[in-house]
Amino acid sequence: MTASMSQCLMQMVQTDYQIADYQSDITPRWCTGCGDNAILTAMQRLCRDEQLPPEKTVCVSGIGCASRLPHYMNAYGFHGIHGRALPIAEGIKIRRPDLSVFVTTGDGDCCSIGAAHWIHAVRYNMNMTMLLHDNNVYGLTKKQASPTSPKGLKSNTTPFGATLNPLNPLSVTLGISNVSFVAQVPDWIPELLYDVLSKAYHHKGFSFIRILQRCPNFMNHHFDAAVQDPLRVRMLTHADGLRLKPELSRIYKNQETHDPLDLNRAQALAMLDEEIPVGVLYSNPHVPCYDELRKGKRPSTPQLVETVLNEEFDKVGIWPEGQQATSNGE
Amino acid sequence: MQVAQISTDPQGQGSDVFMEEAALTALRPALFARYNALDSLRYDYPLVLIEGEEVEKPLMPLCHIVDEALRLVAPQGPDGEELRQQVLRLEQRMREKVAAGAEEKLSELWRISVSELVTESGQSAFGPLDQNLDRARQTITLDGRVIGCTEATPGKVLAHVWQSMHLARARKFRYKVDRLVLRLNDILKSDHIKSDEAHSPEALSKSMGLDGDNSIDFGVLSNILHRVRPEDRLPADRVARIKHVLQVLQTQAFFGPGRATYSYPDKAVCYSYVFQSCTEALDAYRDRLPSVIEFSKALAIAEMEVENKYVPDLHDGVFANFDESDLTEEQMAFLPPAMIFLRDGVTESSEISRAYEALACGLPIKVMIQVDDILGPTSPEPPRNSFGAGTARLASMAMGINNAFVVQGSSAHMTRMQDAMVRAMHYGGSAMFSIYSGATKTVPGVPAYILAAAATEARLFPNFSYDPSAGPDLASRFDLSANPQMEKDWPEHTLRYEDPTGVRKEEVVSFTYGDFALADTRYHRFCEAIERKSWSGDMVPFEEWLETSGGSDAIKRAYVQGVDRQDALMRVVVDDKIVAAARRCKDAWNRLQELAGINNSYVLAQLAEERRKREALLAELSSDAASPAAVEPAQPVAEAAQPTAEPQAASEEEDSVAAEVMDDMPWIETSRCTTCNECRQINDQLFGYNENMQAFIADPDAGTYRQLVEAAEGCQVSIIHPGKPRNPAEPDLDDLMERAKPFL
Ligand SMILES: Cc1ncc(C[n+]2csc(CCOP(=O)(O)OP(=O)(O)O)c2C)c(N)n1
Ligand code: SF4
Ligand code: SF4
Repeated sequence: MTASMSQCLMQMVQTDYQIADYQSDITPRWCTGCGDNAILTAMQRLCRDEQLPPEKTVCVSGIGCASRLPHYMNAYGFHGIHGRALPIAEGIKIRRPDLSVFVTTGDGDCCSIGAAHWIHAVRYNMNMTMLLHDNNVYGLTKKQASPTSPKGLKSNTTPFGATLNPLNPLSVTLGISNVSFVAQVPDWIPELLYDVLSKAYHHKGFSFIRILQRCPNFMNHHFDAAVQDPLRVRMLTHADGLRLKPELSRIYKNQETHDPLDLNRAQALAMLDEEIPVGVLYSNPHVPCYDELRKGKRPSTPQLVETVLNEEFDKVGIWPEGQQATSNGE
Repeated sequence: MQVAQISTDPQGQGSDVFMEEAALTALRPALFARYNALDSLRYDYPLVLIEGEEVEKPLMPLCHIVDEALRLVAPQGPDGEELRQQVLRLEQRMREKVAAGAEEKLSELWRISVSELVTESGQSAFGPLDQNLDRARQTITLDGRVIGCTEATPGKVLAHVWQSMHLARARKFRYKVDRLVLRLNDILKSDHIKSDEAHSPEALSKSMGLDGDNSIDFGVLSNILHRVRPEDRLPADRVARIKHVLQVLQTQAFFGPGRATYSYPDKAVCYSYVFQSCTEALDAYRDRLPSVIEFSKALAIAEMEVENKYVPDLHDGVFANFDESDLTEEQMAFLPPAMIFLRDGVTESSEISRAYEALACGLPIKVMIQVDDILGPTSPEPPRNSFGAGTARLASMAMGINNAFVVQGSSAHMTRMQDAMVRAMHYGGSAMFSIYSGATKTVPGVPAYILAAAATEARLFPNFSYDPSAGPDLASRFDLSANPQMEKDWPEHTLRYEDPTGVRKEEVVSFTYGDFALADTRYHRFCEAIERKSWSGDMVPFEEWLETSGGSDAIKRAYVQGVDRQDALMRVVVDDKIVAAARRCKDAWNRLQELAGINNSYVLAQLAEERRKREALLAELSSDAASPAAVEPAQPVAEAAQPTAEPQAASEEEDSVAAEVMDDMPWIETSRCTTCNECRQINDQLFGYNENMQAFIADPDAGTYRQLVEAAEGCQVSIIHPGKPRNPAEPDLDDLMERAKPFL
């Protein structure tokens, strides 16, 4: 292919993107201490380390505090409508497979109003990375209970305490057909947040990361037990998953070697009650991707679309005597 | 397989002269007799030229397609037997039609033949026979022209293989070019959206479509959009470059639009790439070169533009100086190669030598040279040689070029050679196909298929391929395996016949150059048919005769087995000229065998030398009785491997901070910082961010101890350690130090 010539010439152009290249002019408006900051930083670090050209990167979101993230990234962005980030991201990916697509969403955005899209996006397994910023509350609408709020949480919508048991985003995702990547990580261990994000980015298919995100404004001290007691965190390590650096290994002594291909064990870990599993629960690169399965033999140029439509219309057309639909051959 | 009944001549009376002439004009090699009723045999023809963009095998014998259909619908045993017989009858009918000159698509040929059979059976349409045959047809998913084996076959087959390759290349081409066109248009579109024109009330109104109740004021909308539109337009030179590239890509004339309609006003008519002469092809190549260069440049620029990697300062110069010498093999292989059809003996010989020059230059051309006459005249008529000398010269010469792909084969073995032909077509460089049609005018009454097969059997026209891209050595490049019994000098067959008393006999005979020559009337002057009654002991089978030193024994005569019109077996004594030519033919075959690693002379010499050495050693051992029976095998000298030194265990990593020294200094566990910005809001001189956006003490003297303590208290992950106060004069130090205690 001519690629060899253009590739040679393109190699003459060296890029050296720094974190600042992914920071937009808008200063984040999240509350101080909000975990979303850590997630944004991890994402910008990943972009820098992978040297993703900003014009080849897209962040898509729904509505919520978390969903403000695209504003703070100097990349393409789409701040969508509530719960609908995924269909937009899928549209982008199918038309522009060359772009790196990230989806940011909150527990309200994803698990209540956007639940249908979430399920189907997992099943479609298109090549993109989804970050669920799970702060167990609706932050933007000032402390309303979300599907992941703990039972008994007093909020503006549940003044006497949340009635139901929370939904578990991990076990839901693991139960959907074609699931190919599920991980969990807290926002307060930056090294791990970065590692998991990087694993998800490199995974071929739809990668789902649930990030336990602190909301000091409405859920202050909510995750303190885990923040302060490393033993409450169960580190899932594996050659194909997380590998802990010695410093972290010394702090987080509660470790389990978990094979990311072991779906049954992943389900059991997702249901842990007293401990928080952290790491890659499931990762299977062999699940077929919808965007690849449906990759056309030919790009849909306007000319091709017009021809195909005309062919369809011609099938029901009535032709004056002696005339025929003309078809275009080679 | 049918066994021919060959009987010896029961009559054998009449005048000798008459006898000889009559016998010779109708004389054929004895082994041909078993193919008398070729039309009823199931073999490689009729051949279906399979259509489609992505066919793996562009050629398929009709009988293979029918067999596959039968496998699917007609189970073995009585259940499927009726259907099997019906389908085979249908195949026979199609075979007869092709033999009679019909050339239709398989689907059409099938339809016509079925309707004939149904009518003849007296059944109605949609009756049981029709339905049965339809069931078989349903399983056949492929289609294409059905051809017989005639003089025109090599041209049709090669044109078809070229066309298949062309379609595949067209698909690849369109995929890439269409994608680039779309992407470049996207870039222009996204720039256009920022223009005044795109924000004009008219443009907005048009993009909205019908606005029945005039509820939208496009003037106001235009003003709003105008105010908020981004200012970052593309540089004018980039827009011009992209527009130019788009123009070149969209008006290219190398491949047609395929299924899509193209409506560019200045779209050129597609180039034709099929030529009947080399001169025409080379002229076209030269004429089109500027557009090839223009297109290749545009394609490379397009690829860089969509990646946003075109930098005028770096790249303008490269493209300004780009000319034909910069074209890469990949760039050439992206465009169609020319297909040139030449004919040995018909095409001017200067054209053939031009073809070799073009092949040697590695131009993107595929040349087919069809050979219709292998033996040639009985005395040389330059450039035509006689006695088949230099038969395989065309392909062998092309092999000498070394970087051209070469395929030689006879019409009879097109299916067998198709993999090589397909690879040769897809090969990036030039390729040469030398094909013998079997339609030799001086061989009357023998079907082209039989003669073509015979030429390969007689080693006059061996099948082989030479693929320069297959590897670095001959073993990977040269393939002779598509020849019958390729280890032997001549292939052997069983000849079955009845002797004069009616007893069936069998004899293993070779098919040689001599047999092939017997089929050609021009060479009958070197043959003498001898009836059974005159057979004598001084007659030696041809292949045996070749093995002797030859010629020395003046009394002995070489003969081949022939049959006359009545299939009476005769011995045909051949002249020394044929014997000499056969020796040359065998010699050429042996050279090809050597290339393929059969009886390689170097290897044989080395083997002989080894054998000689071993025998000498054995002789020495047995003569030397005193020597011990067995020599003690030498102790292995290699010592046990020394255990490798354990790599120094990595020393326990030091804590990130040497606590003792730092006790008094404020510090932050930077790698745990979650970038929440809390501390930096207190004092962004005291607290800084590193390259990973994680906080550290940028300047301990840029703030107060109070700020340090408050930041430590505020930090969600408690990683700020305020240390000891650095300014003893700061107020409230006692209280602050008390508050700092949990963070020390
Ligand atoms: C269709 C619709 N319904 C409701 C809302 C109001 N709304 C805005 S954000 C939000 C919940 C966001 O919660 P979450 O996704 O957890 O994000 P967070 O703010 O916690 O980051 C809701 C209900 C809306 N914007 N659109
Ligand atoms: S309300 Fe909570 S989630 Fe929203 S920005 Fe503030 S801290 Fe973050
Ligand atoms: S307050 Fe703590 S976590 Fe936040 S930026 Fe400062 S050091 Fe980092």
